[in-house]
Amino acid sequence: MFAICMILLTVVTYFMMTKIYRRYSYSLLIPALTATTLIIIILLVLHIPYKSYMIGGQWINSLLGPSVVALAYPLFKQRRFLMNNLFPILGGALVGAITGMVSIGILSKMFGINHTLILSLIPKSITTPVAIEVSKGLGGNASMTIVAVMIAGIFGAIIAPTIFKFARVHSPIGRGIALGSASHAIGTSKAAEYNELTFSMSSVTMTLCAIIGSFLGPIVVWLFHI
Amino acid sequence: MKFLIIILQICMLYLFNFVGNIVHNFFNLVIPGSIIGLILLFICLCLKVIPVKFIENGAGFLLRILILFFIPATVGIMNYPSLLSIHGALLAIAVLLSTIISIAIAGIAGQLFERKAQKRKDDRECSKCSQSV
Repeated sequence: MFAICMILLTVVTYFMMTKIYRRYSYSLLIPALTATTLIIIILLVLHIPYKSYMIGGQWINSLLGPSVVALAYPLFKQRRFLMNNLFPILGGALVGAITGMVSIGILSKMFGINHTLILSLIPKSITTPVAIEVSKGLGGNASMTIVAVMIAGIFGAIIAPTIFKFARVHSPIGRGIALGSASHAIGTSKAAEYNELTFSMSSVTMTLCAIIGSFLGPIVVWLFHI
Repeated sequence: MKFLIIILQICMLYLFNFVGNIVHNFFNLVIPGSIIGLILLFICLCLKVIPVKFIENGAGFLLRILILFFIPATVGIMNYPSLLSIHGALLAIAVLLSTIISIAIAGIAGQLFERKAQKRKDDRECSKCSQSV
């Protein structure tokens, strides 16, 4: 009974916040942020610990795996597009994935961030469901990873136009690759504001980076003795 | 009816996830089982072992409400109030800097690779022209 209540709480909050987001479509109102905050407030007010919440929450959580598998579908639909631009997409995604992981590894070591936290930060440029799995595999903390993924996504989408101007990235392909590899799904929705090509580029790159990232994560951790 | 199809197709995706996890455990791989499932499904779709219509409704449905599935894990940050301290700020700064660096480098690299690919394509077309002449 309690489990069902927690599932309902999550689902209802999610749909409510999605509705609000659709109406105002302001990037700080993304449901992942607002729904989470609201649920945390409700749990704190009702004195329900996270462990009890997860009795229901784990059921929703268990759909993450199939959702990651489902990413094969958009990738398959865009396979012609991918094959036609194989070299720039594959090269760009590889460079993007490596830069993202190596730079966060070096920066967080410089800042003296603790071990488990660094492991949680490594997959921060990957789309959330995959980032969670990669983080668990590395021995990181899933919740911390999500926070990092959100920061990378929201901030990346906001700052990207400025960076493109300074770095003189004008091609839709370059922009799409940058947004998809550094800011995953949130960056991809930003890419949709440019044009169709940038959007397709970004979404293919996002999926490829998720696959590349899950291979690369353990290698980066091993190389840098994190 | 549509609802039933979606449920069945999600079961199909579950199956791939399950097989992925078995492969993951059997070979003791570091790559998550769901990613192995993704790669397997992509290969099956390309080889037409599984027609797209066997998964498209289920996959579309899951991806439309994807955010819902990671909300429970996100709520877990309530166990880490320390994120609101200096430690959390450092974490955020590290992620911000790394994001700036990777957007710039990936953008420049992508643009460069695109030009190279374009040049190669042009060269090939040119050599074709000269052959025909």
